[in-house]
Amino acid sequence: MTGQIVDLSATRAAADAVVDVLVVGSGCGGATAARTLAQAGRDVLVLEEGGDFTGRQLTQRDGAMYDQLYMDRAGRSTSDLSISVMQGRVLGGGGVINTCDVVPIGDATLETWRRRFGLTDFTTEALAPHRARALRDLAATPIPEAALNANNRLLRQGTEALGWRGEVMLNNRLGCAGLGTCLIGCPANAKRNPRFVAIPQALEAGARFWTRARALRLEGASGELKTVELGVLDPRGHRVGEHLRVRARTVILAANAIESAALLIRSGLGNEHVGRHLSLQPQLPIVARFDHDVIAFRGIPQAYGVTEFEEPAHPEHGWWGFRIESISGTPGIVGTILPWLGEVGKERMRDYPRFASALQLFPDEPSGRVRVERSGRLRIDYTLGEELLGRARAAIKASARIYLAAGARDVVVVAPEPLLIRRESDLGAVDGLRFEPATMPWISAHQQGTVRFAPSQADGGADPAGQVYGTRGVYVFDSSGFPTSSSSHTMAPILTVSEHLSQRLLATLPS
Amino acid sequence: MSGSDRFGFSVLSRRRWLRLVLGAGVAVAGGAGMVRGLRGPVPASPDLWVLSPREHATFAALARAVFPTAGSIPAGADQLDLAHAFDRFLADEPPWNQADLRKALLLLELGPLLFEHRLTTFPRLAPEAALRHFEDVWARGPSLLRRQVALAFRKFLALVYFDSEAVWPSIGYPGPSFGATVSPPVPEASR
Repeated sequence: MTGQIVDLSATRAAADAVVDVLVVGSGCGGATAARTLAQAGRDVLVLEEGGDFTGRQLTQRDGAMYDQLYMDRAGRSTSDLSISVMQGRVLGGGGVINTCDVVPIGDATLETWRRRFGLTDFTTEALAPHRARALRDLAATPIPEAALNANNRLLRQGTEALGWRGEVMLNNRLGCAGLGTCLIGCPANAKRNPRFVAIPQALEAGARFWTRARALRLEGASGELKTVELGVLDPRGHRVGEHLRVRARTVILAANAIESAALLIRSGLGNEHVGRHLSLQPQLPIVARFDHDVIAFRGIPQAYGVTEFEEPAHPEHGWWGFRIESISGTPGIVGTILPWLGEVGKERMRDYPRFASALQLFPDEPSGRVRVERSGRLRIDYTLGEELLGRARAAIKASARIYLAAGARDVVVVAPEPLLIRRESDLGAVDGLRFEPATMPWISAHQQGTVRFAPSQADGGADPAGQVYGTRGVYVFDSSGFPTSSSSHTMAPILTVSEHLSQRLLATLPS
Repeated sequence: MSGSDRFGFSVLSRRRWLRLVLGAGVAVAGGAGMVRGLRGPVPASPDLWVLSPREHATFAALARAVFPTAGSIPAGADQLDLAHAFDRFLADEPPWNQADLRKALLLLELGPLLFEHRLTTFPRLAPEAALRHFEDVWARGPSLLRRQVALAFRKFLALVYFDSEAVWPSIGYPGPSFGATVSPPVPEASR
């Protein structure tokens, strides 16, 4: 039996379907679970709010692609507008719009999860086969030296000139054409993401995928059959039309740490931990201007990472410190980051081919919260604490030193009054940055926590098998369960944990 | 429903919005003839889906200030019709976001009067003066609400403006790279 992908905005689905397993979300967590369970003979249906975009449908245009491939048309943010919360909304999930970085969970992080959070099942040994499977699925390989564009080479050049450590990263590209638009999808279909691995395998095993299907509410969470009410979206995914209901014996939430928690909250399910302990793993862009062309917008956007300041085995947090990674973007998204307006803003953007840029990544304390207001609006509360801001100042100084060592004309720190760093003596100004809300271009691409796994419901929202406390047969198999930042890039950790939990679930289901 | 923090306005309490919009409303209604005079006649704007003509004129004035026609990149906001693009964008937003952003436009329109006590409105400022007002009072000012409004509007404007083919030759971007002919980057001399 072969499953199929059905676009509900174009094809009417059978009302009141009944399935063994209903999965909400088709990204790394959901597609992996769907494949494992379908291959074991279960009747699996996956709901995906986004559309199915591959090949030339991925147009490399900012306006259309950020609108279609990201949740809330890429406009989602924390409630004070300080952090732009970027989250995939497309068949295949975040893997379709990420920069293909493969960074498995470190052993020290797992040790932290066991010691601080009592997740004794999450051992290196227990996860090893699932981690290996994830790396196989991703066809994880180091990015070839020849594929490093000037943007990456400059970051490495400056890092090495300072005697600091860095690395060329692992990636999941096969047949990369160097198009440079990974953040808005790869029209060459060169990403080995769930859309081209787990989803075809799940389809072959009979799983069905419904796109343009937004899960609205989950009812009967303790009963034999749970009901998920879903809204059918219009072809562009902006408006909900018809409502449908699907009944399932098992429901797996894998809609990202924001949406999985929001669905539980909206449905009145789970305990007081649901929505709390949100980690946004904030990232802050920085731009350097050179006197020669860099052409960062062609080639692999993110291939080199500065590891000098990472603490992979921090005694309390596991992964800690900060990391600096090259990045680039199409003109639209880069234009949103630059601080200048008017004629000056236009003139500065003429330097676009001479920009080199990086993201500074910060593991964080899981201190944020997702809520749903009475009106139904989602609210993401998160405060950038002083400790993290201290690391941010250190990261800005380090990035600036790297780019100056690589020969940059200046380094731009985006702030209400932008800092231009031209020499070492300018770095003191970084200490004066106030980081007031809604003034700097913080982003989050790796949301975690919100239904964290814990052996007791006093400490988390789901048990170590992923079952949401207070329910029977409702699970979270995505980054919602991670008690701390799992790694600098969550794709491989989510694949690993979802496979681990799916196998575990399979062992408990009646045959 | 999916979240709606698109522009972060949900952070504003109903009371805070009420106070601000009431203030603007009082300025309009209470100041009666004077404010009506300041606002001038309702401008003509054909084919709007969401915005009122006055809201459209306010956003167009902002777009013109942020991306003037003059300068090193010939294309300006008017040529690219960024205000109409905003109207079309809003049409696909949920009603509460439409409502919040339209309130924000009312505040922006009356910004010079409300926050600088000047007897004029935003659309009536010359583009340079409008940019100065927007930067000083909104983008860099002490008010979180005004910074949020500024951030939301400028992000939209920048994304649409720099995604425009008319702009690319001036910034050395050759356009999407997938397809039969991958153009080389535009030589610096011709930018």
